[in-house]
This record gives sequence, structure tokens and C-alpha cells, in this order.
Amino acid sequence: MTGQRLSKMAVCVAVISKENYPLYIQTIPTEDDLKFHYTVHTSLDVVEEKINNVGKTTNDLRELYLGLLYPTEDYKVYGYVTNTKIKFVVVVESSNTALRDNEIRTMFRKLHNAYTDMVCNPFYTPGDRITSRVFEKVVNGMMLQDS
Amino acid sequence: MSRQAGRGTEAKKVSAELFTLTYGALVAQLIKDYESDEEVNKQLDKMGYNIGVRLIEDFLARSSVGRCHDFRETADVIAKVGFKMFLGITPTVANWSPAGDEFSLIVDNNPLTEFVELPDGHQNLNYSNLLSGVLRGSLEMVQMEVDVTFLQDALKGDNTTEIRLKFIRRLEDALPAGEE
Amino acid sequence: MADEALFEFLHMEVVSYLFKTADEEKCIPILENMGYRVGHSLAERFTKDSSRFKDELDIMKFICKDFWTSVYKKQVDNLRTNHQYLAFPCGLIRGALANLGISCIVTAEVQNMPACKFQIMIQRSQ
Repeated sequence: MTGQRLSKMAVCVAVISKENYPLYIQTIPTEDDLKFHYTVHTSLDVVEEKINNVGKTTNDLRELYLGLLYPTEDYKVYGYVTNTKIKFVVVVESSNTALRDNEIRTMFRKLHNAYTDMVCNPFYTPGDRITSRVFEKVVNGMMLQDS
Repeated sequence: MSRQAGRGTEAKKVSAELFTLTYGALVAQLIKDYESDEEVNKQLDKMGYNIGVRLIEDFLARSSVGRCHDFRETADVIAKVGFKMFLGITPTVANWSPAGDEFSLIVDNNPLTEFVELPDGHQNLNYSNLLSGVLRGSLEMVQMEVDVTFLQDALKGDNTTEIRLKFIRRLEDALPAGEE
Repeated sequence: MADEALFEFLHMEVVSYLFKTADEEKCIPILENMGYRVGHSLAERFTKDSSRFKDELDIMKFICKDFWTSVYKKQVDNLRTNHQYLAFPCGLIRGALANLGISCIVTAEVQNMPACKFQIMIQRSQ
């Protein structure tokens, strides 16, 4: 198993604004991308819950990475929140057993770096939908490719 | 506006992001204010010129560089001392004209454009044109009239960023600072 | 890191450009907005590697200490008394805090040069 293959495993990547509207959503080619939109939308409640529980448990490390939000029969949904309340959601197939926590973390880290650079583009207006080609390229590098 | 007295020769720093982002905010503002990219380029050049005529004092005070004997020496000082001091990068001096009166600065990792993606419809914008003005203004203060143009810009998809400097003439008297 | 003299001259040019193109009532908000946009981006960058903030106090401590010193590499020591020069850093602080979820009004006053006091008034939405 190469690192290259491991890092290409998402079926859906989404960036959600502070106010919980989507800034960017990318899915693998599918006839049912509405399903992913729904999955992402549902996951936001779990994200919100995790954020609001901050500091309530003594062993809370207050990481930006929120871990597994919830599993469905076919997919696992992971979440991440920046200190500026931008949420990243990554959906992977449950059948992808090669996947470890570390790889998911790496993906979020890359996503966070790409998002930060994108925000620093002086021609981007914060809160607008993301149309950056550089950002798109980073996300495409994470998507599960048809072989 | 003169430099504050008592300023030492030590380099004081701000974060690179502060500088890059402030410059970005300026260009974004100019694009709002002007109709055409050409006018924005002109304005950036003008502001760069004003910066250059002041910056040269800092440069001369802080570097131990003496008078340059020829244009080749000037090119080296600009790239290895000037760019290094103010932007933390060292462009490559290249593409000398046979007569030795023209050369290029090849700039990799231009800090001004680190996060920039040009919006559509601004193919004529020379985003980093402030640099042209800075070079023109500072060289004028050491009695050199030069012409500065962007030949290539990595921001527009070119392989690299290439700034061309052409020596025009040696100025006899120091010109007064500032340009309207 | 960038050179402070270069930044200072750039800032001076921005100010003089704005004041040449419009009158003062219009310039200050434009300058403040530019600072806001820069502060917004800086907050994004400089909180990238911190853990999640616990509360408002946590954020304020971060802004006053780590953020400020990361941005300016020191205490502000040579701002001109002229309030034109303070609109930008005021906007910068406001933009950074807004991005971290705190809406506020930032004003600055210079009593004893070169010290400058920024006053941050947090606005409650309720």
C-alpha cells in the first residue's frame, strides 16, 4: 500500500462556513451527490455538539481534529474545525479498511493549509464560495480515483 | 518625512505575512479604484518610486556598500544585498545584453505573490509593479536613470518572474525626492 | 520575515494615496477596512497550529500576546501620533477578533509617545 493511494481516499470533501453554509463541496462522480450533501449537512449537528462540549471533559485536548463524527453503513464521516469556526468534513467509504487515523489527520492538515492560503488571496472575499484553482487541486489530490 | 533619529543599523522586522497581505489589500483597493489594469500598474509604480527614494537611505545606512563602479556591480548589489535585506530573497542576475547596459532579475518565490491568484480579466495587471518603482526610485537617488519592466510573471502562468532593468543614463545632480 | 522599514514606507504610501483620492471621512474607513481584511487573514494563519480556544478570555489573551508579537515582532514603538496611522492597526485587530468570533470596536489613543493604547470594546449581540 503506497502513501499515494492511502491519501486518495475521500469520496466527499466539504468546507462549511462559520454560519454553516457550504463554501465548497466536492464529491466523486456519482449519480447521487445529493446524498453526500445530506450526509455533510447532518454531520454539522455532531460538529456543533463536539464544539460546545469544549472543556467539559477533563481529558479534552481541544484539538482542531474532531475525529469520527458518525459512521453509516457505507461511509465514515470525519470532522475538523478551525479556530475561526470553519468546518471541514471528509467522507470515506467504510470498506476502506487500510485507512488509519493518521492518514485522516494528514488530509485535514493539508486541507487546512490550503484553505488558509486561499483566504490570504487578496482577491478572495471571506465568506464567498471557494473557486480557487489551487485549492481545487489540493482537494482533487485527496479524492478517491476510479481505477 | 525623514527617518527617525536614533534608529540603529540593526534590521527591525515585521512578519512576512503582514507585509504580503498589506500589499495585497492595496492592490485589491487599487483595482476597485481604477478602470484599467494599466492605470493600476502606473499607480503601483508611482508608489514604488516614492518608497524607493526613501528606502535607499536605509539601504546605504545599513549596508556597507560603497559606490558601484559599473552596472554589473550595481546588478549584484541589488540582487544580493538589496533584495536580501528588504524581501529576504536573492534573485538571480541573468540575460545581460552584449553592451552590458541591460540585465534581468530572475525572481523565484516572489514574496508579494505568495497567496495571490489573479481574478479573471486582469491579464494586463502587473501585480508586483511596486518593485519596478522601488528599483527606479532608489537607483535615481544614486544618480542612475533606469527603465524597469516585467518581462515575465509567474503569476500569469509564465515559467518564472523576470524583471528587466535597462540603464538609460547617469544623472549629474541628485533630483529632489518625491514625485507627483 | 519582512523588513520593518519597507513595511513602514508601504504603509505611508497607502495612507498618502488614500488621502489624495478622497476626503478624510472616507479615507479612515477604507484604511480601517484594509486593516480588517489583513487582520482576518492573519488570524487564520496564526491560529492554524493552536489548539481550540476555550473561551473569549482565551482568545483575548492570544490576541494581546502571541498574535501581536507574531505580527509586529515587538511592541508598537514608532506609530505617529496622527490618528490616520492608527486606523490600519485598529482595523487589523478588529478583523482578527471578528474572524475568531468576537465583534468589537477598536480605538487607539496615544498619550505618552511612543506608547499607544488600543481599547477593545466587545459588542454583545444580545
